[in-house]
Amino acid sequence: MTSKNKKPLAFYLDSVGKAFSFFFFLGKKVNRTKIFILISFLPVVIAAIIKCIQYFQKNYWLEDLSVFSNIIVFFYLQFLILILALFFGTSVCSEETEGKTLTYLNTRPVPKSAIMVGKYSAYTLLIILMVNIGVILAFMILNISHLLDFSRYKILFRDMGVLTLGLICYTAFFTFIGTFLKKSILFGLIFSFGWENVIQYFPGSTQRFTIVHYLKSLLPQPARGRFSFLLFRLEPSSPGAAIMMLLLIAVVFLGLACLVFSQKEYILED
Amino acid sequence: MKPVIEVKNLSKWYGNVLGLSDVTLQIEPGIIGLLGPNGAGKSTFLKLIAGLIKPKIGTVHIKGQKVRNNYSLFNEIGFCPEQDSFYEELTGMEFLLKLLSLFPFSPSEARARAEQALEIVELTKEKDRVIKAYSRGMRQRLKFAQAIAHDPEILVLDEPLSGLDPLGRRKLIRLIKEYRKIGKTIIVSSHILPEIEAMTQTIILIHQGKVFAQGDIHYIRDLIDTHPHIIAIKCDKPRLLAEKFIFKNYVLNVKFSPSHDSLLVETNNRDKFFSLLPSLFVENKIEVKEITSPDDNLQAVFDYLVGK
Repeated sequence: MTSKNKKPLAFYLDSVGKAFSFFFFLGKKVNRTKIFILISFLPVVIAAIIKCIQYFQKNYWLEDLSVFSNIIVFFYLQFLILILALFFGTSVCSEETEGKTLTYLNTRPVPKSAIMVGKYSAYTLLIILMVNIGVILAFMILNISHLLDFSRYKILFRDMGVLTLGLICYTAFFTFIGTFLKKSILFGLIFSFGWENVIQYFPGSTQRFTIVHYLKSLLPQPARGRFSFLLFRLEPSSPGAAIMMLLLIAVVFLGLACLVFSQKEYILED
Repeated sequence: MKPVIEVKNLSKWYGNVLGLSDVTLQIEPGIIGLLGPNGAGKSTFLKLIAGLIKPKIGTVHIKGQKVRNNYSLFNEIGFCPEQDSFYEELTGMEFLLKLLSLFPFSPSEARARAEQALEIVELTKEKDRVIKAYSRGMRQRLKFAQAIAHDPEILVLDEPLSGLDPLGRRKLIRLIKEYRKIGKTIIVSSHILPEIEAMTQTIILIHQGKVFAQGDIHYIRDLIDTHPHIIAIKCDKPRLLAEKFIFKNYVLNVKFSPSHDSLLVETNNRDKFFSLLPSLFVENKIEVKEITSPDDNLQAVFDYLVGK
């Protein structure tokens, strides 16, 4: 035995690491991940089609960076990160209870909260990789003739950062939901495409009760155009406050998820 | 001998459904058979012992420590669940390795233990096949392997023999008995008396959430032997067979089926009755089509014992 006499924090972090390694390995193998990899690469296909049209129809013109921003906002920010966070976040707990594999985890000598944090981290990293690889490829395809223009990469990194924060935050929230709700997917869909899409346009401080408000606060106000309404922000928070709030939301909901998962009695029905 | 597991006034209910009621026990090293019909509360009892569910009333202590949320105790407990559930996309080897990685073993030690556990349950050849391609028996053996892989002192086995073929059962029973020899504490549940009987003489009878009896298996065996059994025999000469039974004092009742091709015999000595049957068939040239025992299950025995 190698880590019997470790200090509590070192032991806890070691347990988180072990759970992370377990579920990152498992997450790569499950069919759901393969399906979502295909979905997350849709914008890459769209980018390639747009580029082909641009190439063959010389009179068709769209500014490459505006197309990229539209893809980011329309597909990734408003749809894909929500769906990925919903399915992977809720499954952190529900796939163990529905698949009745929770017994194996709860009979190992590791704290339950370490399993929760490790599995959340593994799944969040998986979906961050899925999204960001797609984003990078879409960016490269759309900017293929400007790859040496390094000023454009600032936009790429900013958008990747926003999406990563969004995934961390939404996944923590849905992980928490998955620990105590049986129909967490249904609730998640209502939250994602109901609450988040509607409340963000409420005036005053109400809009601050959405996660997307803080994500959009990190993106610049768009120029007028076909998709500018998607990025419309009423009263954005400052970037610093938005980042702090997003991280706080993630920590609070992950903490709550750990608490519920450690204390709740899950009855695995036969 | 000092008890390894101590259970006091343990009660558990799910809403209006009673799972377990006021159970107080002390379990010492060796094999304890937990016997009871389906729904008697065996799984609830084992899950409470393993800290997987919370008791409504009462306490469970293993080696003097409380179980629930005491994760360090799981270095010494191996639990084999009843449910046939796995991480289906993993191979047998990956499943064991990943579960062992949650113990304080080095990677090489975890691998060696996984290999050893797979060898014990004779799954070495199939270790690289994905679990979803495993047969029911192989899955059952893999479940057992994950319970023993870390060499725990206490083994909690919930219906470990279900789904195994007769040979597999015999092997697993032998294995469980070997664990007893090296001083381990094993609690094994089943609703089939001969299975428990093959493993241990010490049993806990559980029925409707209550411990009905505890102690030597001969006690329940005697009770069962005097329990009137009904045996249905389908043959070509049921009336001739009935005539032969009438003079036996351990036959209490004989009835004919409406179709006149079978008879129902009630006996209070099953062993004597069954030992007589072959000679009766041969001597009277009776062609037997089917012999069944409609109430030969533990539920019927328990119903009889509790006076239903």
